[in-house]
Amino acid sequence: MIKLSQIRKSFGRNEVLKGIDLTVKRGEVVAILGPSGSGKTTLLRCINYLEKPSAGGITIGDFRFDYKNHGKKDVHALRQKSAMVFQQYNLFRHKTALENVMEGLVIVQKVPKEEARERGIELLEKVGLGGRLNAYPNELSGGQQQRVGIARALALNPEVILFDEPTSALDPELVGEVLAVIRHIAQEGITMIIVTHEMAFAQDVANHVVFMDGGVIVEEGDPKQLFRSPKEERTKQFLKRITPESAYSI
Amino acid sequence: MKLDFEFIWTAFVALLGAVPTSLAITVVSVSCGFLIGTAVALSRHFRIPVISQVGTAYVTFIRGTPMITHLLLIYFGLPILVDAAAESLGIGFRSVSIPMIGFAYIAFSITAGAYMSEVVRSGLLAVNRGQLEAAYSVGMTTPQALRRIVLPQALAASLPNLSNMLIGMLHGSTLAFTVSVVEINAKAQIVATTNWKFFEAYLAAALLFWGLTFIIERLTALAEKRFRLNDRGGVSS
Amino acid sequence: MGAPFEFGYVLDYLVKLLPAINITLVIVASSIVLGLAIGFVVALPQLYNIPVLKRLSQIYLSFFRGTPVLIQLFLFYYGLPEMLKLIAIDTAKVPALYFVILTYALHSGAFMAEMIRAAVASVDRGQVEAAYSVGMSGPQAFVRIVLPQALATALPVFANLVIANLKDTSLAFTLGIMELTGKSQTLAVMSRHFLETYIALAIIYFLISFVLERLFLLLERRLQRKGLAAI
Repeated sequence: MIKLSQIRKSFGRNEVLKGIDLTVKRGEVVAILGPSGSGKTTLLRCINYLEKPSAGGITIGDFRFDYKNHGKKDVHALRQKSAMVFQQYNLFRHKTALENVMEGLVIVQKVPKEEARERGIELLEKVGLGGRLNAYPNELSGGQQQRVGIARALALNPEVILFDEPTSALDPELVGEVLAVIRHIAQEGITMIIVTHEMAFAQDVANHVVFMDGGVIVEEGDPKQLFRSPKEERTKQFLKRITPESAYSI
Repeated sequence: MKLDFEFIWTAFVALLGAVPTSLAITVVSVSCGFLIGTAVALSRHFRIPVISQVGTAYVTFIRGTPMITHLLLIYFGLPILVDAAAESLGIGFRSVSIPMIGFAYIAFSITAGAYMSEVVRSGLLAVNRGQLEAAYSVGMTTPQALRRIVLPQALAASLPNLSNMLIGMLHGSTLAFTVSVVEINAKAQIVATTNWKFFEAYLAAALLFWGLTFIIERLTALAEKRFRLNDRGGVSS
Repeated sequence: MGAPFEFGYVLDYLVKLLPAINITLVIVASSIVLGLAIGFVVALPQLYNIPVLKRLSQIYLSFFRGTPVLIQLFLFYYGLPEMLKLIAIDTAKVPALYFVILTYALHSGAFMAEMIRAAVASVDRGQVEAAYSVGMSGPQAFVRIVLPQALATALPVFANLVIANLKDTSLAFTLGIMELTGKSQTLAVMSRHFLETYIALAIIYFLISFVLERLFLLLERRLQRKGLAAI
């Protein structure tokens, strides 16, 4: 279980997270929706400590972390609990697909190279890239790069995988292949938090949906209920503006 | 021996007299270099046969050899060519009447031309291809389009490179002492040997060059600001 | 002013100048290695934004890029012994070559620092974030992710700096160093065949630059094949 409590974050005078509480159950797939500037990406980055919140705490399993009061080792430990899939993929440019997946295993988790290689090949096959093991990022399409990014995150076997708008940078025709992979691994019971604009996808894959606006969680709940009959006015307005053209098809 | 601060000032004042010579060498070589460089860059840009190949060879050779060799080759080679040419044409002119600084002007212009062609080339590349097409579409000829549309934009994009070029040639002008031109460095040598205070003299020279470089950088920054103001559309992007 | 031009001498002097390549290359190699170390030390305060040290490194950069290398040579050759005398170190017996190498190292160090700063800054912030997100520590991320990518961007700049350094060493003759240019001047004065000697000199410099350029290009291609296209 992951429990965020009273997360606050300001950029200068601008407070983008105003005390967020969120609980994610084991194996749950949570989708975070909201207009741009609502703080959803910032919240996600706080979990991986890519942003440093000004206050608040997080509990992952039996690991507790206070954002105000912690040592360097705690940061390292927190980061290892989660893995991030970035909007811009952020594959290591000087490493092949396989090396990208192996890097964290070998360097951080000290897994023997041969074992890491086997695991890397297995995961790349799983995301449909068994034939491109030795390709460098600049030789791969955006969709392929993002699938490597997902394999890289999976390899670390984290408590939770964080997806930061994983399809926003992709050409429309490449969105489907990435969403298919995400849906596939969602079915395996891996805990995931996904910030996304793909409404239909969120409705289909998530078991819990969170709607954020202005640095607070406006509404959260079961996807069917939230999409069909939102309670809050802001949620209604937001869902009305989203056109069905972002629906995906596989 | 202690550092004679007073003499640094004395030397500095003495060196000021040589500043015009250094600046003359710099300005002449950069201006002539600009003309040569533009010609070479355009010939390569438009792939004019023979001229572009000769230009490429010239740029490669000059960039692959030290500036001082250019000066030495011109100083010892040019008189032979000039005298031979004058003799066969029956003109009374002889190379001895070329002033020393003339060799520096010629040699450094040749040096600057090669580096300048690269500056102009990258400036041309920075101008969007669509700009030339737009110029054609309103009925301009190629020279008109180059002069009125492409070159002004290329110039704005190459300001930092031009500034570096100017600084490079200012520093390079110190080599003129090898052909007995009294620019700042040669003057420092004279001041140093006549007073037997080498450190102080060269310290003054260093400070002087540092100051001149600083002024060039400031002026470039100002020019860039002005170009930016005219550039609301975003030339350089 | 000299003996009449005879092309045959060019080849003759080319051969005679060859041994002096050693000294030129020694100056280039040692000042580049030293300069690289200096560049790193100077770039660090800029990269990590360390208050006072950053200011100092800026002054260093400004001075060495703002004054001619020829003036720097004289300044260090005449000035350093006197400064060292103040702390009771006698440098009278130190060969001029060491001063020359030190000057060129300090000179190229300034340019190296700028190269390193720009190269590290050019690595996408997302690369560091990705490194953190797979659990790497700061030093691990720097050594394994940032540095290799920065090296690839720096390589073409480095190649230019090495060739510029080679050309700058032609000024060492002013302090009596018998490198290529120094050697050619003695040859020229002795034989009175100035033009032939200097043509030979230019050819040698050109060949060295050419070889260096090819080598760096090969290295660049190899890096590019590793997905590290610099351009």
